[in-house]
Amino acid sequence: MNPSQNSGPGSAIERGNYLRKSGDLARAVDAYLAAAARSEPVPASLCLALARTYLLLDDIASAVRWAVRVTDAGDDFPAWMTAVALVQNATRWKNVDPRRRSRVAIAGSFTTTQLQAILPLAALRLGIELEVTEAPYGQYRQELLNPASALYRNRPDFIILAVHEGEFALPSVSANPEREVATEISRWTSLWDAAALHSAGRVVQFNFALPAEQPFGHLGVRMPGTRYAMAQAVNAGLGSAAGTRVDILDCERLSALVGKERWLDPRYWHLSKQAVSLQVLPLMARHLAAVIAADLGLSRKCLVLDLDNTLWGGVIGEDGLAGIKLGGDATGESFVAFQEYILRLKHKGVILAACSKNNEVDAREPFESHPDMKLKLDDFAVFVANWDTKPDNLVRIAGILNIGLDALVFVDDNPVECAAVRRELPQVDVIALPEDPAYYARSLSRYLLFETASFTGEDAQRTAQYRARAEVASLEKSARSLEELWASLDMVATIAPFDEVNLPRIVQLIGKTNQFNLTTRRHGLPQVEAFTRNPDCIHFSLRLRDRFADHGLVGLIIAVQQRQIIEIDTWLMSCRVIGRSVEKTMLEYLYSHATRRGVTVIRGLYIPTAKNQLVKEIYGEMGFTRLEENSGAQAWEYDLAGVGPIKNHYIQIKTIGD
Amino acid sequence: MSIHQQLEQVFRDVFNDDSLVLRDQMTSLDIAGWDSMAHINLMFSLEAAFGIQFKGNELAEFKDIGELEKYLEQKSAP
Repeated sequence: MNPSQNSGPGSAIERGNYLRKSGDLARAVDAYLAAAARSEPVPASLCLALARTYLLLDDIASAVRWAVRVTDAGDDFPAWMTAVALVQNATRWKNVDPRRRSRVAIAGSFTTTQLQAILPLAALRLGIELEVTEAPYGQYRQELLNPASALYRNRPDFIILAVHEGEFALPSVSANPEREVATEISRWTSLWDAAALHSAGRVVQFNFALPAEQPFGHLGVRMPGTRYAMAQAVNAGLGSAAGTRVDILDCERLSALVGKERWLDPRYWHLSKQAVSLQVLPLMARHLAAVIAADLGLSRKCLVLDLDNTLWGGVIGEDGLAGIKLGGDATGESFVAFQEYILRLKHKGVILAACSKNNEVDAREPFESHPDMKLKLDDFAVFVANWDTKPDNLVRIAGILNIGLDALVFVDDNPVECAAVRRELPQVDVIALPEDPAYYARSLSRYLLFETASFTGEDAQRTAQYRARAEVASLEKSARSLEELWASLDMVATIAPFDEVNLPRIVQLIGKTNQFNLTTRRHGLPQVEAFTRNPDCIHFSLRLRDRFADHGLVGLIIAVQQRQIIEIDTWLMSCRVIGRSVEKTMLEYLYSHATRRGVTVIRGLYIPTAKNQLVKEIYGEMGFTRLEENSGAQAWEYDLAGVGPIKNHYIQIKTIGD
Repeated sequence: MSIHQQLEQVFRDVFNDDSLVLRDQMTSLDIAGWDSMAHINLMFSLEAAFGIQFKGNELAEFKDIGELEKYLEQKSAP
C-alpha cells in the first residue's frame, strides 16, 4: 500500500470502489472516509458509496447517517432519490432515533409523489422521523372539506396545502381587482378554517410562485387589475391572514431564488403535472422540513462564531489592529457585510457567542477599538477566547447558557476545526465557510434551522437575557449559598392568564421546552385555545424579571379541575431560569388559585423522556406524595389542607387580569 | 465508461438495484417498479447524467432499452 500524498478525493473513491468490489468492505470504508475528510461538503456520490458499504456491513445507523448527508451535498434530485431508496429499504423510516416524530399529509394541486418521497429525507436531516401521506391528485379541496376524508383519518400533525398558481380563479385582467383578490384569499382561508374544524393539524400553505410568462410585461406591476398584480396581492393577503395560525411556505421567494424558468419545466408539466420541476424539489423539501422543524421547536438558538478570518481577515494576535482586514477594500467590506448579516440574525432572536483560539485581550481589541467593527462585545451572550479546543469550548458555551449542544450552530473558516466539531460533537450543526469571504453572508443565509415559527418581544431581547444569565452565573460563584443568590437577585414574577398577546410565545414554549417539562405534551395552537375556552381550566404564564434583565415569558401551567381535584396537564419552564426557585412560585400561585376554587387536591404527572430527568423528583421536592407508577409515568398528589400552603419568599408575585 | 455502462448505472440508481443488467429488448414490463412515476424520475436522471434534454414527446416514446441507448449514442456523438 502506497497511497500518494497528492491523491484527491476522486482517486480515494476509486480505490474504495475497487476494495468494495473485491469484498474488502472495512478497508473500502476507510478509503471513503479518508476521501470524505478531505472534502467539504462531502459529494453525494461519496455519501451514497459510504451508505451502501455500511449497509453491506449491516451497520444500519451509519448507512442512514451517510444517506442523509446527501442533503448537505447539494440539491441533486437523482442522488436524493437514491438516498431515499436506501433509507427506505434499510429502515422503512422507522427507529432511526429521531428528536421528534411527526405525521404529515400532503394535499396538492399538482403531482406531489416525488415531494412525498423526499420530504422524509430532508426531515431526517433535521432530526424528525416523518410519516408522509399524500391525498389523491388534485383532491385537496374535497379532502379538506370532508370531515370523514382519508386525510383527516390519518390524524396528521401537519397538513401541507401544496398548490400552485394555476389554481387561481383570477382572470387575466379585472375591472374590480380588490374584489377578485378578496374572493381568492377567502377561497384559501376557508380551507384553513375547515382544517381547523376537523383536525388538530397545523396547515402549511404554499403561496404562489408567479410564472415566468407575463403577457403584460413591466406594465403588469403598474396595473392592479392584471393577474400578475392580483397574484402578488393574494400572496401578501395570505401572509397577513396566516398570522400565527397557519404556516406559509414562501414559494414565490423560492422560485425567485432559483429562477422562474428553472422553477417550472414546461415539458414535465405537460407530461406529468410537475408544477415544480424535479431539480427544484430538494430545495423545496429542505425549506418545508425547516418550517415543520421550527413548529416542532427544533430551531437552533445560538450562533457560535470563530473570530480570525471569520469576522475579520487575518489573525489579530499576529497582524495587530491595523493589520486585520475589515472595511476599506473589497475583502474588508466582505467581512463588514458578514457582520451586518449576523447582526440581523441577532435582531430576530439568534443568540451570539464568540469562540476563538486567541489571548482574550487580543480577541477583544477589534471589538473595542476597530472603527469598522459592526459587532460589539455586548452583542455576544458569551465571549470565549482561550487556547482550549473548539469542542471543549462549545461544551463550555452550552453550559454557561444552559442550553443543549443541539441548540448550537458553529461557524468557522478552518475546515480542520469544522471537522473536529463534526466528529466530537455531532449534535452541533457546522457551517463551513467558503474560501471567498464575499460569500460568507450568503452561505450563512442558506442555513435553514434559524427558521422560527413566530417572532415575539422575547426573541428580540434574547441575547441581552442570555448575557444577563451569564452574569448571574458569575454572581453564583461569589454567593455563599443558593438562597443568598436568590435574595440578591430581586426577582419579580408577573403572572397572567393566557391571552391573544402571549399565546404565540406560549405555543412556542410548549413546542420546544425539553428539560423542565413534566409531561412534554406538545399542544399546538388549536389545543391551547381549546384550554382557554374551558371554564374548568386554570392556565397561566409567568414572566420573570430580576435586577439584571427582564427574562420575558418563561414558564406556564395548564391544569384542569374535576370537582375537588385539579390535575396539572402541562407544567414547563424555559431552561434560562432554571435554578432560580421559579418552580416554587408557580406552585404557590396555583395553590392560591386552587383554594379559591374549592380544590382539595392538586395532582401532577411526571412523564419521563430522554431530556427531562432534571424534574424527575420536582413534585417530591415541592411536598407532593408519590402515587402508583403507571407505564413509566409517575403520579403525585398534594393535599392542600394536609400539607398547607406553598410559599416562595425569594420571588415577589404580581398578577394581571385575574 | 461506455454509454451502455452509464445507462446501466442510472437504472441501478433509479431502481435501487446494484445487480440490474440491461438488455436491448427490455421494456418497462421487465423491470420491477418501473411505473409512470419511476419513468419521470428515470427521464430526469438520464437528462442529468447525459447532459441532454428530451423533447416533450420523446420523454414517453422509447420502445425499449435498445432504442433509448441508440438515441443516447446519437446525442453523445461528437
